[in-house]
Amino acid sequence: MDESWVQTLQAAPDIWAVFLQARRRDAHVYVGDVHASDAEMALLLAKENYARRDPCVSLWVVPARDIRATSGDAAEMFAPVTDKSYRFGGSYRQQQRVYRGGYQTAAADGDETR
Amino acid sequence: MAVNPPVPDDPERLAQFNVRIAGGDQIEAGEWLPGQYRFEAQRLIQMHANSEIMGALPEREWIPRAPTLARKMALTAKVQDEVGHGMLLYRVAETLGRPREEMYAELVEGRARFHNVFHYPAETWADVAIIQVFVDGAAMQTQGALRSCSYAPYSRVLKRICYEEDFHIQLGLDVWRALAEGTPAQRAMLQDALNRWWTPIIHFFGMPDKVSPHTETMLAWRLKVKSNEELRQQFLRRFVPIILEYGLIVPDPGLRWVEAEQRYVYTEPDWEELKRVGRNGGPKSAERLALRQSFYRQHAWVREALSRWTPIAA
Repeated sequence: MDESWVQTLQAAPDIWAVFLQARRRDAHVYVGDVHASDAEMALLLAKENYARRDPCVSLWVVPARDIRATSGDAAEMFAPVTDKSYRFGGSYRQQQRVYRGGYQTAAADGDETR
Repeated sequence: MAVNPPVPDDPERLAQFNVRIAGGDQIEAGEWLPGQYRFEAQRLIQMHANSEIMGALPEREWIPRAPTLARKMALTAKVQDEVGHGMLLYRVAETLGRPREEMYAELVEGRARFHNVFHYPAETWADVAIIQVFVDGAAMQTQGALRSCSYAPYSRVLKRICYEEDFHIQLGLDVWRALAEGTPAQRAMLQDALNRWWTPIIHFFGMPDKVSPHTETMLAWRLKVKSNEELRQQFLRRFVPIILEYGLIVPDPGLRWVEAEQRYVYTEPDWEELKRVGRNGGPKSAERLALRQSFYRQHAWVREALSRWTPIAA
């Protein structure tokens, strides 16, 4: 596998990345880092630093240097090469008009191109 | 400061970087940066982190003396927020290349700078109201503007900081209201605190910027978003009406609103005082640094123990 677009985050061994889940069923979201010598200490510090006011039901901590990330230069990899509108429901207006307004309304719009 | 002056950058990469920033893009930690950018961003964020830590001290003095339990709890929460901001900011400064220990040592040894307002005493409970409303309000102007700065990790942390600062200002306004609606002695105490804090707060935003290549670069790189004078005017527009609303007196007889220019004119403060205070020459600089130093030494064993701690294997 070509790994030139894969990078390791530069961080000291005592840096832990913190992920916070605000409510059950929400995703865990990266909120910042803490300095800690082990996972338990990292969770304790994360609780004090990131969960002292706003809602939180769960925290994850992970050593920052264990994270693998796409490199910054790889951003173009995610840019669409072709028109991606066919992947969105909003691109299919014609059938929505038929459904909502009846066949006559849709025909009057004369939108046959999509 | 101990960061080495930057070496010249590859002109081609620098040009690409400038185009990217000019297009509104933000830079993530670990991406290529011009040496000068790294130097300036690091210095800016370290100074901000220092100020959060030192800023907790004047208010901390009032936690044991807060007039009610509700005020004590709220003030404790605010001080905890400020120290938390320091922690977040040192971490961001670290991503620009200096370990936290080094920056912290520089602060407690008096070799680093922090904001002018934290070199002054907090003599009465009314000072706490002034700090929460005006000092946090002033900081909010600068930090609010910098949320659109070009260094993404700083910008993210500033969003959270501004969110918490808003609580501080609201709390301060409530303490302010209680005193302003209180006895004549309480009103006099509030006016006295306002009088003493006025000049340091006008100083807070710095001298009006000189038109210089340095300022131009800082603005172009969005490490500065608004000029010092713009921020000061923004602050006066928001906070002068609050002073007047409670029937207090603005301590500057020269202050007036100029409708045609849409700005406040104020008496030019003594800028030499700002320079002196900024070099840790303020009335409380030595005492507060000594306090930080003594705690830093006393707690050395805690840092030591934590760094050696190894959990029992599961």
